[in-house]
Amino acid sequence: AEAAGAAMGGSGSLLPREALSEYQELTFLSKQEILLAYKRFSELLPKEERENACSARLPKSCILTLPELRANPFQHQICRVFSTSDNMDGSMSFEDFLDMLSVFSDAATLDIKSHYAFRIFDFDEDGALDRKDLEKLVNCLTGDGEGSQLSTAEMEQLIQNILEESDIDKDGTINLSEFQHIVSRSPDF
Amino acid sequence: IWIFHGFYAEEKLVGNLASMSTSERIKAIQKMPRTMKQKREIRNKVLKEITEESRHHSSQLLCCPQCLQRTVVSFRRFGNSLSECFHLLQLTHKTLKIIGASFGTSVLSYFIFLKWLLAFNIFSFVINFSFITVPQFVAAEPNNLTFTGLELFTGAGYFQETVLYYGFYSNATISKTENGPSYNMQLAYIFTVVIYFVICFFILLFSMAKSFCRNFINPQMFSGTASKLLCVWDFNITNEKAVKLKQKNISMQIKEDLAEVNQEVLNFSATERVVRIIIHLVCWVASLGTAIAACAGVYFLSINNLKVFVKEHKNDFKSQAAMLVLPIVASLLNAFIPFFYSWLGHLERFQTPGYQIYVTITRNTILKISIIGILCYYWLNIVAASESQCWETLVGQDIYRLVLVDFIFCLLGSFFGEFLRRIIGTTICVNLGLPEFDIGRNVLDLIYAQTLTWIGILFSPLLPGIQIISFSIVFYVKKVSLMMNCQPPRKVWRTAQMATSFMLLLFFPSFLGVLSVIGVTIWRLKPSEECGPFRGLSSMYDVVSEWIKILENYTASKWVVWIYYNLITSEFFFFILSVIALIITYLYWQITEGRKTVTKFLKKQIIN
Repeated sequence: AEAAGAAMGGSGSLLPREALSEYQELTFLSKQEILLAYKRFSELLPKEERENACSARLPKSCILTLPELRANPFQHQICRVFSTSDNMDGSMSFEDFLDMLSVFSDAATLDIKSHYAFRIFDFDEDGALDRKDLEKLVNCLTGDGEGSQLSTAEMEQLIQNILEESDIDKDGTINLSEFQHIVSRSPDF
Repeated sequence: IWIFHGFYAEEKLVGNLASMSTSERIKAIQKMPRTMKQKREIRNKVLKEITEESRHHSSQLLCCPQCLQRTVVSFRRFGNSLSECFHLLQLTHKTLKIIGASFGTSVLSYFIFLKWLLAFNIFSFVINFSFITVPQFVAAEPNNLTFTGLELFTGAGYFQETVLYYGFYSNATISKTENGPSYNMQLAYIFTVVIYFVICFFILLFSMAKSFCRNFINPQMFSGTASKLLCVWDFNITNEKAVKLKQKNISMQIKEDLAEVNQEVLNFSATERVVRIIIHLVCWVASLGTAIAACAGVYFLSINNLKVFVKEHKNDFKSQAAMLVLPIVASLLNAFIPFFYSWLGHLERFQTPGYQIYVTITRNTILKISIIGILCYYWLNIVAASESQCWETLVGQDIYRLVLVDFIFCLLGSFFGEFLRRIIGTTICVNLGLPEFDIGRNVLDLIYAQTLTWIGILFSPLLPGIQIISFSIVFYVKKVSLMMNCQPPRKVWRTAQMATSFMLLLFFPSFLGVLSVIGVTIWRLKPSEECGPFRGLSSMYDVVSEWIKILENYTASKWVVWIYYNLITSEFFFFILSVIALIITYLYWQITEGRKTVTKFLKKQIIN
């Protein structure tokens, strides 16, 4: 861990070795990636809290300054899904941060990615993607520009098509299994 | 929101995990979609349960399980550190991540394909170099010709008497010391080439089957809007401008899809439909006609070239430069006719943009195949029967020049197509905008270069080495050009399907064509009398038949002779193999059909 700390340069505090190997076992990340994540995370913390970065919590506004999340239209959802804070403010600890990186990494299985994608797309957190969720999803995907929002008729038609195709038990919503079924058919995920 | 695991369910989970092996357990815990804290709790419970169990058995087995566990743990740590070392060696890993982030997965697939071809060429070079070239160095004859710089371009002159070409290799049995171990150059040459192609065949077959299996599981779902929508967001993209662009593209594409679904494009009247069909036919005739004209031009030019080269054996600057005319013309045709084809594609109005892309790629493929085809015909029928001293070296030189000029044109194409186009697009003619990275054309260029290399391996064994240098430079140049000049692609391709089609294109026209060319060369053509490892024989394959005849005299190798006579040369054996393959294919097809019916039935059950 000392060699890793020296290699990181002036990252300040070091990650203890047992914690490192534990994180390696519990996530899909490699040692290099965990150390890099630690460095990025502690850079975002204010100076006083950098010593015990493992137990500090970053407020949501700081997380959203990360370049990977800054432009992402699903940024708020991602923070909400991965945060484990009790007061629902979207703040993330280092372990939440590692969880997020692990799910998005290349080594993660399709199952876990689709599980979390479902939670990200589920805007009202009711365990199923109903019409409103799908509407919000399409609006996120097409952005807020002037020409790119769909008209109500187009939206209706699109959501109708989607539900026809993916709703196997015809209850008007897409639940987790149906979502995973579609995703497993499409190798582009 | 997650499914609530009752207390009993959690006990069962812990029990299951405790009974797995360590690596399986780690993988299973990683796969659980829970927060780190919960995973840690479960892991601690499992570890406690394991230590309790081992304490149970400790009275019987003393310290053995602990030692075993320690060795297993240290082995796993070693494996981890080894895989991390491998990560460091992946020099291009970071580059690929950056490309994927700014331009999306479709452009990334081109670079991954290029990297795969580069690794493949390294493998080819290592095999050919170690088995064919290295022994030849031991028995090399001195080179009396002088080296002028022009040889790098023409491949003739000094290079003629080096290991670069077939003509230099000896047909003797090389041995360093008298009565020492000997190395039969003839057998080595033919066996290395044949076994190399067999290995390539299997590598390509398995890569193709793997990507086919992954990407074409259920073609019905492919045209689905739901799968397109839910899976379309490329979480790889981090650049803000790219994100906005992607959003615009997605909205455009959704609107296009909806428009198609709502009103069928075939709302045309009868006359308009007929007119469209006529336009299609005319365009196809035009494109095929251009391809045929290009082939005829290449053919007459090469015949002229041969006359010049064989009759007047001058080694001056003018005749050397004249040798470069054929490759330059071939590359020019390959560079400019595709523009004509894309213009034709714009002229016809297709139902979907995807269809237009496929048609254009098909036409380009036909053009390239016909040019290579006519060149092979020229080499095998005309050069081989000509009066030149060493026709294989002539063919090797032709291929060397083609590869080199193609490489230069690739770099020039990058310069003109992307760099100048960007300058024009941003300063002079602003509504053109930045150029896009043309994936289809670039991939076809790569496949063309690789086909030439494969054909050339028999005549110039060091060609993969040249291709390694060329591909590395192309990778670097294309990456720099992409970052500096291009914008992310506007049309959203189905990237996984694309990767499969690259492999398919590589395998079917390219590799199988090469196999037939090599087959004809080895079986039917007469090698030249005065040079090369097969001089004096009536065909290259005679080496093998003569060797088998020699082996007949040794009782220890009778089984080799038996295999040769009854399996490899007997047509009956291949007939039976083909029939068995057909039967197995038919059975698998029926199984797939049966499974489709079962799926439909089950879906109906779920609704009810």
